[in-house]
Amino acid sequence: MSAIAETASRGRTRRRRRVDGWQWAGRCFLLFMLLYTALPMIWMLITSIKSGFAATQFPPQWWPDEPTLASYQKLLDPQNSVGQDFLRFFWNSLFVSTVTTILSVIVAVPAAYAFSRFSFPGRNFLFFAVLLRNMFPAVIFLVPLFILMRAIGLVNTHGSLVLTYLTFGLPLAIWLLKGFYDNIPVQLEQAARIDGATRFQAFILIVMPLSTPGIIATAIYSFIGAWNEYIYAYTFLSKNDQLTLPVGIQRFFSENTTDFPGLMAASFMMSVPVVVLFLVLQRYFVRALTEGAVKH
Amino acid sequence: MAHVVLKDLVKTYGSFKAVNDVSLTVNDGEFVALVGPSGCGKTTTLNLVAGLIPITSGDIVIGDRVVNGLDPKDRDIAMVFQNYALYPQKSVYKNLAFPLQMRKLPRDEIDRKVKEAARVLDMTHLLERKPRELSGGQQQRVALGRALVRDPAVFLMDEPLSNLDAKLRVQMRSEIKRFHQDLKATIIYVTHDQLEAVTMADKMAVMNGGYLQQYDSPAQVFAHPVNMFVASFIGSPAMSLIPLEASTANGNTVLTGAEGWSLELSPRNAQKAARATTKKVVLGARHSTIKLHKSAVPGSVPAKAYTVEPTGDVTFVQALLSGVIVNISVPPNIAVAPDEQIWLEFDQERIHVFDGETEMALKAD
Repeated sequence: MSAIAETASRGRTRRRRRVDGWQWAGRCFLLFMLLYTALPMIWMLITSIKSGFAATQFPPQWWPDEPTLASYQKLLDPQNSVGQDFLRFFWNSLFVSTVTTILSVIVAVPAAYAFSRFSFPGRNFLFFAVLLRNMFPAVIFLVPLFILMRAIGLVNTHGSLVLTYLTFGLPLAIWLLKGFYDNIPVQLEQAARIDGATRFQAFILIVMPLSTPGIIATAIYSFIGAWNEYIYAYTFLSKNDQLTLPVGIQRFFSENTTDFPGLMAASFMMSVPVVVLFLVLQRYFVRALTEGAVKH
Repeated sequence: MAHVVLKDLVKTYGSFKAVNDVSLTVNDGEFVALVGPSGCGKTTTLNLVAGLIPITSGDIVIGDRVVNGLDPKDRDIAMVFQNYALYPQKSVYKNLAFPLQMRKLPRDEIDRKVKEAARVLDMTHLLERKPRELSGGQQQRVALGRALVRDPAVFLMDEPLSNLDAKLRVQMRSEIKRFHQDLKATIIYVTHDQLEAVTMADKMAVMNGGYLQQYDSPAQVFAHPVNMFVASFIGSPAMSLIPLEASTANGNTVLTGAEGWSLELSPRNAQKAARATTKKVVLGARHSTIKLHKSAVPGSVPAKAYTVEPTGDVTFVQALLSGVIVNISVPPNIAVAPDEQIWLEFDQERIHVFDGETEMALKAD
């Protein structure tokens, strides 16, 4: 009797210990991932508050002897030429990314809704055709798109970038949103239409509010994609006053000797809008990506 | 309230006919159940009446208007869905108010009507909750409330009870029936559960394969099914349908089973059997119209007990007869063992005779 109880309890502890082992493995992995993603960011921040000399020292100063915000002051000062350029690039990036985001939401929402709710000839073909572009690496389209943009006179305009970024962002946005609409029972709209709403009202009053998380996730996706893009911006734009941040920063600091603290300060400030956007909207984002993973 | 007329209603999807020439009239204040197995076209028919899908041909009349091309919102109907379709982002109050807001009623009237509906359905205390904070029965009640705040011409209900557990379903069944009696509402109710249809409806429309099979009161459908499908679909346990061969000797009509036994028919049933297109007839008998004997009596036929299911107040015996399973109910004090030899006696006044070829019920004069 007691022997049985003993074996049983030993079995239980052994099982519990094994679970603990996995939990610790999980924690270690998460810690590793945290360091892996956070360390470069931290190093970027530390470097940005060093002086130019301290940044290139070896062995490195883990914490700067004389921390300084000089790089930031320089970048944000509209009086000097560096600050003027940086602020203009920042504004350009903000403009291109915002317009891309707005357009992609405006196009993706009705498109995804149509793919989800209506059956029309060529529906499946069209739906997979929007993915065609994403089956190839972006660089493949660099030259064709450049020729195309030149032909329609968009080279050296922000319009060329907005158009290009839409071709990356839209397919994903449409797919993501369609999944979202698929998950909203069609009976909700039917109920609304019987309750006195037109089809359009049913969409605006009932479906849209329910798909807000999806729309926000789509918007973040488009925004980040456009904000970080480098190669197309580098190819399509050559005038200094039109450059976006990724190209601008690179150009601007490699022209003379490399100013590492300046580069890091600019990079840090470039990451601020994305991080802020993400922090504010992350709960929608997570919901959007996991919604539909489980049946309610 | 209003009456509803369906005339030669057809809905096709490509070459597939979902609804075939369905014609029926729902009188003002009547509770009509559309019943049939899944895929029989009953929900499609309801959606056609609601205007959620366009009709292929035919006419739908609600009240005195032909509503064929009208939007759902202009048909003066209310609908209760199987999954309730409550607006998840709105509170119960706002769910109930939505149909009234869409009709641009003044705010104080909306408030009055919502509170009245909440009082009738006993959910005043739930008004501020969101649908996900309610139990299944409460959600169901809100769905009902949203339909009744508007005082529509017709209520359409699409399997409103099938998402509830068995106990709650029985309770809500009587609530809906009460609701119909109090409001004198015209209701079209779709269900696959024949028991719901039989217990609640004034009339039932039995559908199969997109065709309307029979449209009559539950008692009539139960007592006089027009064909073998209706006979086997309505009633639980199902009516036993025994395929037999008819022959006439010395002026008497007898039915012969696969095991070689024969059953002499009453003159009335003989007349029915004589009208069959071939010799093949099917005898239909409900469990309560068959008597079980432990020894041979005149007019009984031999069978073998297959399974025995005691339910408490009645025991169901399944017996093998002429290659099919026959359901018989016996009092619980009669013990029957599986594989036991038994004899069955049919109540000739209450059995049904079907044509083995056309599957239609045969009638005497």
